[in-house]
Amino acid sequence: MPWNPREGQNGGLGGRRKSSPEEIFRWFGEGLRGKGPSPWLILAILAGIWILTSCVYKVDVEEVGIVQRFGRYVRTTQPGLHFKLPAGIERLTKVPIRKVFTEDFGLRTLRPGVRTEYAPSQQYLAESLMLTGDLNVAIVPWIVQYRINDPYRYLFKVRNVRETLRDLSEAIVRQVVGDRSVNEVLNRREFIAVEAKNALQKALDEADTGIRLVNLELKTTNVPKQVQPAFNDVNKAIQDKQKMIRAAEEQYNREIPAAEGKAKQIVQEALGYKIERVNRAKGDTKRFMAIWKEYKQAPEVTRRRLFLETMSKALPNVGRKVVLDQDLKGILPFLDLDRKGGAQ
Amino acid sequence: MRKPSTSTLILVAAVLVGIFVVSGGTYVVDEREQVIITQFGKPVGKPITEAGLRFKIPLIQKVNRFPKLLLEWDGDPGQIPTLDKTFIWVDTFARWRIVDPLLFFQTVGNEIWAQKKLDDIIDPAVRNAITSYHLIEAVRNTNRSPQELKLAGGEEAVGQELRVPIRVGREKITEIIQEQAAKKLLSFGIELVDVRIKRINYVEDVRKSVYERMVQERKRIAEKIRSEGKKQANIIEGNKTKRLLELRSQAYREAMEIKGEADAEAIRIYAEAYSRDPEFYAFIQSLEVFEQALDDKSILVLDTGSDLWNYLKRIEAPPSRRSEFK
Repeated sequence: MPWNPREGQNGGLGGRRKSSPEEIFRWFGEGLRGKGPSPWLILAILAGIWILTSCVYKVDVEEVGIVQRFGRYVRTTQPGLHFKLPAGIERLTKVPIRKVFTEDFGLRTLRPGVRTEYAPSQQYLAESLMLTGDLNVAIVPWIVQYRINDPYRYLFKVRNVRETLRDLSEAIVRQVVGDRSVNEVLNRREFIAVEAKNALQKALDEADTGIRLVNLELKTTNVPKQVQPAFNDVNKAIQDKQKMIRAAEEQYNREIPAAEGKAKQIVQEALGYKIERVNRAKGDTKRFMAIWKEYKQAPEVTRRRLFLETMSKALPNVGRKVVLDQDLKGILPFLDLDRKGGAQ
Repeated sequence: MRKPSTSTLILVAAVLVGIFVVSGGTYVVDEREQVIITQFGKPVGKPITEAGLRFKIPLIQKVNRFPKLLLEWDGDPGQIPTLDKTFIWVDTFARWRIVDPLLFFQTVGNEIWAQKKLDDIIDPAVRNAITSYHLIEAVRNTNRSPQELKLAGGEEAVGQELRVPIRVGREKITEIIQEQAAKKLLSFGIELVDVRIKRINYVEDVRKSVYERMVQERKRIAEKIRSEGKKQANIIEGNKTKRLLELRSQAYREAMEIKGEADAEAIRIYAEAYSRDPEFYAFIQSLEVFEQALDDKSILVLDTGSDLWNYLKRIEAPPSRRSEFK
């Protein structure tokens, strides 16, 4: 507790103002000679307050207390109320070991929460711009979340742990990305994140930072905006390709079943033709056989009868009939064959 | 105002001297520090690296503190040409610690000068290493197999650069840098723990041409994908045509086979029946044809010599029993 004259005056002397050092010295001298309250008493009280405030300390739930005696580390204390030797002898540093810290690269968290908002990444392009293994340029923003795992190492082994973490993180993510094609960087973020996390943890352990990574997550990776249209065109081309194939398949599926149906129809029709043809043949021959059987009984008569019957059936229907004597020759030229039939 | 008594003054003086002796004769070494005691500027005794409370001679001896921690050094990002004459920005950082505080104190003095020394030694080492290798060696670390590098759509779209195997790799290059610089730094009591390349980027001019190349490469890939699509669509269409022709011709063939069978069967049936009396069949068939052929548009010219007139023309009995058909 600092030496505050005003406080001393209020506590011990009840309203008398003494602000200049001379006055305090004089008052001190007066006190030594027995005027006013004993300054030794005041000193003792102040010393008591000082000891109490510097000897009792509280460690919050998320922290541990690291105590150094004359600069030397002596103990780590868990959450709760504790005693230590007064300031000047033992020094306390509280380290929040259960808190998760986040470092952003290529972006900045604007408002953390369930739906964390990020600042536009263009501003931090230097952090996220990197070369891929096929010497393309990609924009890879990411975040690293970590906890202090070993407060002793965290405090005493590395100066500026946060900066070390940032530098290592940038170096390692770039190293992992440097072994991958730009396509992988765009489409296989999780794998890169896993590999980078392992490598980063290893590097942090080797450096004795006392830090344990909780998470390393790649945010949406991209390519510089100058080449974005070309990359989008590739995606469009993939869709175009699928569209073309789908259209061709559609056409196939539309025409082939119809053609199959048509083929079946043709075959069925042929089968129908066959049935008809055979039935007709059987019918015709049955009829012939029937007639023939009767004809055989009396061929001469039946023959004549059939002939004449047919004539009598056919002749009335004929449009024009010309009867010629068998001796008459050369009549045909005189017949007006052009006249359309029907005139009797 | 009255003067303080002599005894009071003596008491106050004694307290002040006591405070001076205690504060001047002791010092605290922190966990993070190492200390060198100097006497009139000259180092005395061994460096103190253990934390704790120590004694010294007040006024005469002076405490020089040096960090014991791992310290960082951030390189100055500079423009460096690679072996393939591509200009790149290389941003490096290193970590170091003071391992010999006495030597450090004597040769460098303090941290600000140490940073300067590190600049002077590491920056040229980085420059040397980068200029003696191709860019790809500084970018890539391993020869990962390019089979893993495929697009989501199954398109293989790997730049030629990934197929070229690297011989050294980034980690090896940084090791070379470190080795080169560490030797020199050891004579200043500095241990160079590691050097790492934080960022490598193309300089502005190169970046433009790289972007152009990237655009060209993407265009090529897009075109390839599209023509691949066209190819597959054509294959499907060809298949379709083939299948159509196949279906049609197969149906035709089957139909013809069936019809042929039918006709053959019919012929067999007819032949079997009609061969019993071919002459009668001809007669019957002629009559039928005759009947069907004549209609109201036909002109029938009947010769009196024909069978129909046979009986009308000659009333006498026929010379033979059988009449003749014409």
